[in-house]
Amino acid sequence: MTDTLQAIAPGALDLSGHRLGTPQQAGALTMVPITGPAHPGIAPPRTGLKLTRVAGYGRVELRNGGDGVAIVPLHIGYIQDAAQNHALCRSAFIAPGAALMFEDACCVQESQGGYLTERDQWFFVLPVELRARALELRGAQGYAKLWDDIADLNRSYGLARRGHLEQILSRKRAQLTQFQSRLELQPGQLGAVFLVNGRFAGLELAPDPAYFAEVWMALVCFAYGAAAWHAEPAAPDRPVPYELAEGAGLAGLRAALEHDRAQRLNAVLRELAALPAGPVAVREEERYLGLRLSTVTGDHLAGQVVTDTTDHDRPVYASLFARTIG
Amino acid sequence: MDTPHIPDTPTLLAHLETHTGALTLPRGGTLCWDDADIHRAAYTADPEGYALLGLAPGVLPWQRARVLLQILAASQAGLDEAARTTLARVSHVLTLALPPAAVITVLLGLRRLRANHKHTTRAVLRFVLEHPEADALIAARRPALADCFEHALGKATARGCARRIQAGDTGSEYLRRRLLRFLADPAPAPARVRALYEAGEQPALLPYEPVLPLDHQREREPIVTTTNRGDIAATLVHLYRGGPAPDLHAALDRYVAAAAAAYPRFTGSVALVLDVSASMRGYGDREWALLSQAAALRMVLASVCDRLDVVEVGGTDQHGTHQPGTDLAGGVLDALAAGPDLVAVVSDGYENRYPGDLARVAASLPRAGIATPLVLCTALFTGADDLSLRRPAPALPQRGFWHQDDFAELLPWMFGHCAAGATWLRAALRARLDELDLEAARIGGIAA
Repeated sequence: MTDTLQAIAPGALDLSGHRLGTPQQAGALTMVPITGPAHPGIAPPRTGLKLTRVAGYGRVELRNGGDGVAIVPLHIGYIQDAAQNHALCRSAFIAPGAALMFEDACCVQESQGGYLTERDQWFFVLPVELRARALELRGAQGYAKLWDDIADLNRSYGLARRGHLEQILSRKRAQLTQFQSRLELQPGQLGAVFLVNGRFAGLELAPDPAYFAEVWMALVCFAYGAAAWHAEPAAPDRPVPYELAEGAGLAGLRAALEHDRAQRLNAVLRELAALPAGPVAVREEERYLGLRLSTVTGDHLAGQVVTDTTDHDRPVYASLFARTIG
Repeated sequence: MDTPHIPDTPTLLAHLETHTGALTLPRGGTLCWDDADIHRAAYTADPEGYALLGLAPGVLPWQRARVLLQILAASQAGLDEAARTTLARVSHVLTLALPPAAVITVLLGLRRLRANHKHTTRAVLRFVLEHPEADALIAARRPALADCFEHALGKATARGCARRIQAGDTGSEYLRRRLLRFLADPAPAPARVRALYEAGEQPALLPYEPVLPLDHQREREPIVTTTNRGDIAATLVHLYRGGPAPDLHAALDRYVAAAAAAYPRFTGSVALVLDVSASMRGYGDREWALLSQAAALRMVLASVCDRLDVVEVGGTDQHGTHQPGTDLAGGVLDALAAGPDLVAVVSDGYENRYPGDLARVAASLPRAGIATPLVLCTALFTGADDLSLRRPAPALPQRGFWHQDDFAELLPWMFGHCAAGATWLRAALRARLDELDLEAARIGGIAA
């Protein structure tokens, strides 16, 4: 299982200390839990990070109120009523007690006035279909820079072609948030591999289980849940019984169930093992003491990772996603 | 002629709880009774059990009207005295527990069916002349009730009785033999018979509500929270949150004992597959809501059942290892290993290891040679929950519950699915009939 994990991003991350758990599935979304060594001392994103102000369209300030350095989750955004929703194109370090103005944030709600304030904060992570483009646009100023991509995504979902991400995130919230119950965070889990329709969609790794628990909903419901909701398969008309000998009994039935599950697990592992093994480019973006934030770019995936140079470049945080879904 | 298919208990109960539509009597036409075959077959197979099932919590009013119609239309030839007594008590309770308009439709339906047995006569006369609101009913529906009265006694006898009463007779041998002997309380009868044959001064409104409510309207808080869903679950929520354990545990024991006392003992064995996964715990304002009610059900069942085996899924096993995901199918196989009379899966319905496994296991049971009935009890936050993604095995019998009061319908439904539940169900419904008889006497009706 470790080899399988390592094969997802060769050269970008050393995941040899991490393990894949038993997959869970809900509709088109499969989640394979990751466990492994924790990196304590990183401020968790919901309790540690606060959006303090939007200084103008495309300018978002976050403050780290935690005790440790914050790693801003890649592509988080904030939604509030009567204020223009914004998302960030990149991750970043924020020292304890410090604030950071993101000058390259993007507005994700084309025709809504008003600025986000500190009240009623809940954050999402951009749907995976938008993430490669958002990552490309990091560093570029222009609050409207993602509107065309959002409009295209809406159209592909059968929604009005508008630069309004809340058409998916807010109006479909009841369906999307069900993924938080349909898939279940496991004790000790600090990461996950997500597959949509059986194809690799993303790998998420957090410094520790507490951090991952705080970003879990944003990932499972919005980053990957939206694509899975769009691909939700119809419920089968009638279940197909296992191929059993007549009167096979409980033991026969259990064997059939376990055989079927082994086949499903193998299908997941085969998909991950078959990911393109092409080279990825790793470019360092930021430093905080011994931590390094880098952007990873490959043919099949992209994202950002944080490694610890004081501990053999051990991975601390990763958000890597497939460039194409489906 | 085809032999009518006899529905088993779960099928009949599901029919009584879901098959909507009124009995109707088109003017000059025949009685419209769309599911008469099912009622007739069920009555023929087990008259007493069929009648009692009509009292089960959750049965639709128009289905109860059909039960009343079936009981009163059918001959009781060959039934023993105990069965006849039960049928008489059930029919009396139903005449008080149904909206009066529905009872009048049933009685007029009996006339169209030309059903006139002694027990029919007794039930009709008791409704027309002894109902606690008989005066108001006669004022509102005098011609219809006069028709019922004449059908019950025969037109000549009915009018003969009426003439004597109008002439001042209140207790002659003629009246006693032909009319009063059918009544439990003959005193008010003469005045009401006079009213049946005298045009009223003003048209009156027919009382709509039954005088004996069978399914009590539950008082609900306008906003459902984790702690207004019954005493057991509320106490568990406070325990889960870390409340003072000794006080809460003592109260919990009292609440469970009180809830369990409402049910007879189940002498069979039940295996409960209990989902204790993260989604059952929930989060935010709803944290603990589902898990606490599922645990409440477990505690009540543990008090009611001679044997209850619980297989937890999605939690930590006996070795301290966390089980991955919600494995309902694996839990069912573990539960079947104990050889129970019934397997009940209690879950929010989110199956993620893997979705579809429970349905496939259930579909494979017959071929595997396993006949143990399997039911799915879905833990809900409220009755309005969206279940579209929470039916892990649509072919399985599934019933939701969210409040402790729901156990009154859930337990008969669960136990009704297994052979060992037949005795329990009959005992539970007999106890309910006893309570309803007492209530009928209290409100002014007269016990059968």
